[in-house]
Amino acid sequence: MLGRVSQLPKAAVFAPVDDGSGRVEVVVRRLAEAIALGLISDGDQLPAELELANALKVSTVTLRAALAALRERGLVETRRGRGGGTFVLAPTDPSAARLRRRLRELSTSELREIGDYRSAIAGTAARLAALRASADNVARLRHVLGRLDAATSVGERRRADGRFHIEVAAAAQSVRLTRAEIDIQSEVGELLWLPYGAAADPRDVVRGHTQVIDAIEARDPARARALTEEHIDKGIERLMEFHWRLVASE
Amino acid sequence: MSDQHVDQVTDRVHTIVADIFGSLDRVLESVVACYRACGSFACADLAAVRPEIFACLSRTHEVVAGAGVIVAPGVLADRRRWLEWWQAPPEQDPTFLDVDLDPESLDFYDYTAAEWFAVPERTRRRHIVGPYVDFGGTDTYMLTFTAPAEVDGRFLGVVGADVRAARFEELLLGVLAASPTQITLVNGEGRVVATNSPRLPAGSLLLDPGDRLPLPPLPWSIVTSAADRAISPL
Repeated sequence: MLGRVSQLPKAAVFAPVDDGSGRVEVVVRRLAEAIALGLISDGDQLPAELELANALKVSTVTLRAALAALRERGLVETRRGRGGGTFVLAPTDPSAARLRRRLRELSTSELREIGDYRSAIAGTAARLAALRASADNVARLRHVLGRLDAATSVGERRRADGRFHIEVAAAAQSVRLTRAEIDIQSEVGELLWLPYGAAADPRDVVRGHTQVIDAIEARDPARARALTEEHIDKGIERLMEFHWRLVASE
Repeated sequence: MSDQHVDQVTDRVHTIVADIFGSLDRVLESVVACYRACGSFACADLAAVRPEIFACLSRTHEVVAGAGVIVAPGVLADRRRWLEWWQAPPEQDPTFLDVDLDPESLDFYDYTAAEWFAVPERTRRRHIVGPYVDFGGTDTYMLTFTAPAEVDGRFLGVVGADVRAARFEELLLGVLAASPTQITLVNGEGRVVATNSPRLPAGSLLLDPGDRLPLPPLPWSIVTSAADRAISPL
């Protein structure tokens, strides 16, 4: 099971990191995501530091910081001596394999359908919430978002994010939209919040949701809807990307 | 502004609410008696309160959709959280409401944060919440009436009754329809509980309600408008 990652067709994983801000985090995310998606398997050895830094177009300082962060999260380990190097420790969570299989097996039209439906439900819920949310509803939304912000595990994030969308629908005063949102969350929540490979940076999600709450509080239905649709489109786009990477890795 | 139609709506609202709370008082007495009788208050002891819950449901038949006791965390010896809540489906025996009390679950029914629990806990007074979307519980647009249960200053939880928002509106239809001018019943946050205006569905917010006639001790007000209801005759 021990293969050299650099020999595998995983070009996208090691494509140059071009995001100017927070390069360490971008590298951490890229590698963590690849591990979550099973693109790099348990026991795989990462290319040597210099080689990997060159491939990713980051400095070795950046790469070392990223590897240290991955070590801290228990996703890689460094062995010293002969045959040493950095090795992948894939999460043993059996649900990870099941989720990867699901994401691989969903067709792009099915993924698009999920996005279309989520967008219709969550977008409308956000618009109506801006017209109907009480101060108490807004306070609850901020409370749930605080939980998302403070979450330390992917499970907590999935629950808090799901809860946020459900609370928006409840603030819209619609039983039907709330029910639909609960169904959506149980269907796609675990895909959006893959262990070690969330479809969105949690901080971006918190920032985006904060803007939605602000729009709801400011009673700006058009903005609440647009921001929500944008967020959902981005999430689905990421899932499509994951899907294609899984297909390409076969 | 005194208007006989407003008076009729007000009277009807007070009567309906008094009936609901009056019926809940008997459940409340039963909870207190049960707590005093049990050395170590456990979940199974609440079976003694059930006859009063069922009696409440049958007294308020066709008004109350569910009723019961929601216990404050830490009060029962063997359960951290507990809902002894029964629903009354039409023409059927009451059914126990089974909600997800696992804090780890997406559907977790976090009732201690719910207004119908938190407000009576804080104020030690009766409260009415809604209309609101009750999700994780009954998945219905609901009004919830609750009263605190306490013994020697210790808060045991609340007794409560649920009334579907649609049913509550129906109970007021007669007096609302009789008025040629707009009469709107709003809750403390300005949300429409019931109205005879075709442009204001229940659940919408009245952002600038203008003159309100408060209905103490209820957390509600009546908003009137001299405008006629603009419903064209058939």
